[in-house]
Amino acid sequence: MSEDSSFIIVLVLLFSLLPILLPFLSWAIGRWYQGRLMDALVLNEKQNGVMLQNDQHLSTASSMTTMAAASSTLLHVSICVGPSMGQIFFMWFKSLFGGRLHSYDVVLDFGRREALLRLNQQAKDLGCSSMVNIRIETSTVSFAKNNKNKTSSVEFLAFATGIRQ
Amino acid sequence: MEPTSISMYMSNVETIPGMTIAKSLGLVTGSTVRAKHIGKDIFAGFKNFVGGELKQYTDLLNESRNEALQRMMMQASSMGANGIVNVRFATSNVAAGASELFCYGTAVIVQ
Repeated sequence: MSEDSSFIIVLVLLFSLLPILLPFLSWAIGRWYQGRLMDALVLNEKQNGVMLQNDQHLSTASSMTTMAAASSTLLHVSICVGPSMGQIFFMWFKSLFGGRLHSYDVVLDFGRREALLRLNQQAKDLGCSSMVNIRIETSTVSFAKNNKNKTSSVEFLAFATGIRQ
Repeated sequence: MEPTSISMYMSNVETIPGMTIAKSLGLVTGSTVRAKHIGKDIFAGFKNFVGGELKQYTDLLNESRNEALQRMMMQASSMGANGIVNVRFATSNVAAGASELFCYGTAVIVQ
C-alpha cells in the first residue's frame, strides 16, 4: 500500500518537473546524439573522405591554369543543421558572459564537413575526377511561423564545378 | 515544378571546362520562394529536441534549389543559350516562415 502511494507521488513529481527538466534533457540528449553523428562523420571521412583533386586543378581557385577536361558539371549540395532546444536555452545563458559556445561549434563544424563530404560523394557519383572553385555558403534558415518558436537552423550550401577527364 | 528537364552545360567558373565560349548572352536568374508544410514543421520541431541534421529542411531546400536552377535554365534556353557560366547561389529570409532561393549566372553559347 505504501509502496503504491509512493510510486504515484514519484510519478506526479516527475510529470510536474518535466517542463523544468526538459531543457536539461534536451541538452543532454542533444550532446550525446551530436557526438554520435560526429563519430560517424569522422569514420566516413576516414573511409572515403579523400577530396577529389590533383596538382593541376586547384580546389578553390576560380580560374584554371591548365584545361585538360573532357566535360564538366555543376555540383551543389546543401544541408540544414541546428542545435537542440536545450542547447539553445543554455547558449542564451552562456552568451551573457561571452566566450566559446561549444554547442554551436560542434554543430556548425559537423554541418560544414558533412556538406563537403556529400559534395565529394556527388562528384564521384557523376564520374568527376576533380573539383574546382569550391564555395561554401552559410545562411540562417527559419521556417518558424512565429517568433516564439525558437526553431532555427543553419544551412550550409557547398557548390563546385566537377571536372571529368 | 516543370516536368521537362533541360540539360545544359553549367559551371561556377568563368568558362565551361573542355569547351570554348562562342558568345555571351547576358545575365539569367531564377528564384523560388518556399514556405514549410505545417505537418513537416511540427516534425522538424520534434527533431529539434535532439538537434543535428534537420532532414525535412534539407530536402525542402534541395528541391527548391533545383526548381530555381530549372527556371534559370528555362530562361537561358529561351534566349538560345546552351550553357550557363559563373553560377551563384543566394538564400534569404524574405518573411517569417518563408525562404527565398535565388540563383544567377551568365548565359553563353558554347562549342
